[in-house]
Amino acid sequence: MSTYLYGITFADHPAEVGDLRGIGPSPAPARVLPAGDELSAVVGDVEGELRAKRRDLLAHQEILRALCDSGPTLPMRFGIVADDDTAVAHEIAAKAEVYTAVLRRVSGHVEMNVKVSHREEAVLGQILAGDEEIRNLAAGLREDAGRGEAEQVRFGELVAGRLEEREAEDADAVLGYLLPLASEHSPGPRVDGCFFNCSFLVPKEKTAEFQDAVQRLRALVEEVAEVRVQGPLPPYSFTEDQ
Amino acid sequence: MTMATGRSSSGSQLQRGPGTGNLYDILELILDKGLVIDAFVRVSLVGIELLTVDARIVVASVDTYLRFAQACNRLDLTRASSATTLPDLLGEVTEKGAKGKSKGALTGAVETFAEQFQKSSDKDGEEAEERPRGRSRRSSARSSE
Repeated sequence: MSTYLYGITFADHPAEVGDLRGIGPSPAPARVLPAGDELSAVVGDVEGELRAKRRDLLAHQEILRALCDSGPTLPMRFGIVADDDTAVAHEIAAKAEVYTAVLRRVSGHVEMNVKVSHREEAVLGQILAGDEEIRNLAAGLREDAGRGEAEQVRFGELVAGRLEEREAEDADAVLGYLLPLASEHSPGPRVDGCFFNCSFLVPKEKTAEFQDAVQRLRALVEEVAEVRVQGPLPPYSFTEDQ
Repeated sequence: MTMATGRSSSGSQLQRGPGTGNLYDILELILDKGLVIDAFVRVSLVGIELLTVDARIVVASVDTYLRFAQACNRLDLTRASSATTLPDLLGEVTEKGAKGKSKGALTGAVETFAEQFQKSSDKDGEEAEERPRGRSRRSSARSSE
């Protein structure tokens, strides 16, 4: 049997998570494990080999969400397993200062993740409309459909370059729009065609304001882009020691 | 460079509750962010990891370029879609950026959006609703869809 880690909290965190489904094929309830004087780990027992499934991801997320609702919580990355409770308590207590500092930092905050993708046709249309060279090339290619693939590829590459420039400009604009409402931000990887993927650490009391701002953003850019927001989330992107 | 491919998720999903509503959209956070303790192992993520890897494929390939070329080919060049760029829409035109960009007839549209943006900023404080106002704000038809 091993010990699965959900998150780290201050020792005085109420941590009422016993009723939530844990992870694993025969899930054990989450429980609180003291780790030194100041901190606790929220853990669960896992038996044998753990194979991550959708329901496990959900269990991880839901337990962390419940924890975050009732006090500052450092969410673990999904799938961290220790040999036993002793190892967990020992490791966390050994770095108590670091974890305490990060917990203070995220205290009273939630993570909001915003992803923006371009509506391809609209943006390509804009690139054509705003760039004579590209427009002429496009017209030329269209008139002479017999031209070779190589020429099509060169044209496509040129368009791709313009699109990349546009993405950088637009990402800056989106960031500038949302940044004033956040305490910190953390850019994420490009996923699923999104030219903008960024998490914001937002004070809890500003969550509604942030969501309103995203709604306005969505309405403003709807013609050219799709905006998606997720949150409030556990502060996954803000657990790094600074 | 990746493309915005046909995705089934739409704006309506955004309004669901946090977490459970759209697991897919926070997958990379749960799997790649969050605290790691070096001394401990991580379970095998076979299958799940693939999901995110797939989503992250960066395509700078002949295929992509051809697709772009074909997409441009399908566009109606005479029907110049509004050239309101995203920064324009977000109000940067207040520094008359649009004027330097030779957008000709389209500048009007830019200003309309800019004004709209100004108005919406003015009443920031009053906007208590959290639901999107449908699509009523769309001021011009898109060529897509």
